[in-house]
Amino acid sequence: MKCEEIGELLPDYLQGNLKAEQDDLVEKHIAECADCREDVAIWKKLSLLPVEQPSAGSRERFEAMLHAYQTGRNDKAVAELGREKRGGVWSWLRSPVGAVAWSAALLVIGVFAGNSLGNRPTHSMADQGEIAAMHSELTNMRQLVVLSMLQQQSASERLQGVSYSQREGQLDPQVVAALVHTLRYDNSVDVRLAALDALSRHGGQPQVHRDVMEALQEQQSPLVQVALIDQMLEWRDADTAQRLRNFAQSPNLNPTVRQRADWALSKLN
Amino acid sequence: MKEQKRADTENDQAMKLAPDEDLMLEVRNGTGETLGVLFDRYHAPLYNFYAKLTGDRTLSEDLVQEVFLRILRYRQSYQAGTPFRAWIYQIARNARVDHYRKTPRHITFEPEMAPPVMPKDSAQQSEEAELLHRALMQMPEEKREILILSRFQELKYNEIARLLGCELGTVKTRIHRAIQELRQNFKQLERGQLNSDKNSGGTKFVPPRRAGNEV
Repeated sequence: MKCEEIGELLPDYLQGNLKAEQDDLVEKHIAECADCREDVAIWKKLSLLPVEQPSAGSRERFEAMLHAYQTGRNDKAVAELGREKRGGVWSWLRSPVGAVAWSAALLVIGVFAGNSLGNRPTHSMADQGEIAAMHSELTNMRQLVVLSMLQQQSASERLQGVSYSQREGQLDPQVVAALVHTLRYDNSVDVRLAALDALSRHGGQPQVHRDVMEALQEQQSPLVQVALIDQMLEWRDADTAQRLRNFAQSPNLNPTVRQRADWALSKLN
Repeated sequence: MKEQKRADTENDQAMKLAPDEDLMLEVRNGTGETLGVLFDRYHAPLYNFYAKLTGDRTLSEDLVQEVFLRILRYRQSYQAGTPFRAWIYQIARNARVDHYRKTPRHITFEPEMAPPVMPKDSAQQSEEAELLHRALMQMPEEKREILILSRFQELKYNEIARLLGCELGTVKTRIHRAIQELRQNFKQLERGQLNSDKNSGGTKFVPPRRAGNEV
């Protein structure tokens, strides 16, 4: 057998997945072929690399993170997430999200019908302009969906709204403002964290940086505070250090958060 | 009091034997208490995955923590019936990709390329292990990753295929190529080692200095 054919069997040979006769084939080949024999040898030799041990502090760090997460969570939001049941298609259609989605669907149908009934042979410049306008209208529609989802009662729907916003490349200032509002005032930690994730993708806008930095002072959840600190460290704005210093001096700060702020400051200097 | 204690221990026992998927569903539906058991099961394998992949121990510890934080954040997205192992490795890969997206390697990434602590049983073995480590680090990351996943993380090829989003046959081909490249790198290093041994009368390999600035 040729090396190429053996090559197809070799990975399975190494993980011991082959039947006895295929096993024999490979072994017969490697007895004769130096390169393939060395392939097998190097695979076996990898066992020389030692198992790395994580440091003893690793478990403690995890515990602290878990603790921060649990204390930071709003119990009401948890209960709400757990209780939530979908009420079927009709209740969805009656909800504001459904209503906006309906309008969007009708708009698409309208555009499609208009284009096919019009039956125009070529797209003129005017048509293209029209299509562009329609496209931007659709984008607006999608952003409207985000806006209305962010106002839903149920945390998981708001969460969906946030993740929906991430599909849009360019966000409407109104949507950005809604995300900032969510980051500041949403009563679910999960939703606030997701909003921060979403905003971090729009770091190109200086206003977003300012909003994120301002959110730090009023956050109560240690987990969100840590996430905000990390985000500020990543952006490294001119006033980041000053703001972090002020923040680290606030009374009643969770020790983990204070540590994180100090750590971030040390990275900045 | 005593009975309560016994019930607690039994509960702990049951938790320690429960499949990953059941524990994760509890994490999803509860407040995350059971995540500790999953941490105990996975943090060392994940740490090894990252350490072998990046050669940076500090970064590896941070990434492991990031994985568990992400599990908490995104626990609502875990679906019953999803194999947990595949799910957590998916998160682990994303965490690393995001890290490099946020912190481009040439700016703040300080590779701590120090060779791993080697077993002391035989001088020749530890020398080989050092060369092997270097040969592995010379490989492009995606080849190194697939080798680590199949050799050290004990993932089956079909699990890797699902993880990387490619065909089973492709995984096997890539693994074969990766092994060949590792073998060639290793041989080259071995030859270099022999030559330098001849020239210098057998000095030991000196680990490269830490790159980047101390912050």
